[in-house]
Amino acid sequence: MNPPFNPDLDLSISRIIKAPRAAVWDAWTIPARFEQWWAPAPARCKVLSLELRPGGAMRTQISEGGAAFTPHMDACFLAVDPMERIVFTNALVAGWRPAAQPLMSAIITLKDHPEGVAYAAHVMHKDRADRDMHEEAGFYDGWGTVTEQLAMLAERG
Amino acid sequence: MENYSPALDGVFQALADPTRRAVLGRLGQGPASISELARPFDMALPSFMKHIRLLEDAGWIQTRKEGRVRTCVLERRSFAAVEGWLSEQRRLWEGRTDRLERFVTKSQEPSE
Repeated sequence: MNPPFNPDLDLSISRIIKAPRAAVWDAWTIPARFEQWWAPAPARCKVLSLELRPGGAMRTQISEGGAAFTPHMDACFLAVDPMERIVFTNALVAGWRPAAQPLMSAIITLKDHPEGVAYAAHVMHKDRADRDMHEEAGFYDGWGTVTEQLAMLAERG
Repeated sequence: MENYSPALDGVFQALADPTRRAVLGRLGQGPASISELARPFDMALPSFMKHIRLLEDAGWIQTRKEGRVRTCVLERRSFAAVEGWLSEQRRLWEGRTDRLERFVTKSQEPSE
């Protein structure tokens, strides 16, 4: 069961992935595979721990531009249902110890779909002070859409 | 997220023009020289340079001169500032999901 969606703090990404469910599960749970997609190229990702059990560590490092690897994710798995669901948060580190800078919890779900896997990520965020700056500045949807499109172009580039 | 407070008026004004939006769209594909950017537009170079300067002053792009060629690049921090933190997180997760999808579908090809 997933918690209610809060449009101010959450984001939800759904995708039909044309691959067997086991392939998607393995890409999330086998370190050598996880490293191949988690960070955007040319950055490189290194998995330190991927302990797929409640309280298990999810720790990664990242290297950009050939520089030394530096800490990236330091999170904790909350729930792991094989082939179905992974829940993790960076509000905790391994062994449920509170983290210094909590930001988000994420629920990854995999479901059967006629064309492959219905993949979804529901990411819930802690409130952030910098949101207020945008509201005071009169940030509104029209501009948000334009800039999002530009950003997508930029991301593709 | 870093603490970044741009003059948002200038940021928005810079977007309120089709030439400047087209320039940003082109720069999304990578850096380009002024002459390359100006080519699609039926416009005298001094007029085109006004658009470039406006984009630069608003913080959308950076330019640098090497020899006789001035090259423009997107300033990514402005995107983050205008879109807000949630859009930034969305792009991060969309990117991750795209890469996961590519990775697992590529693994299904018989050649792999």
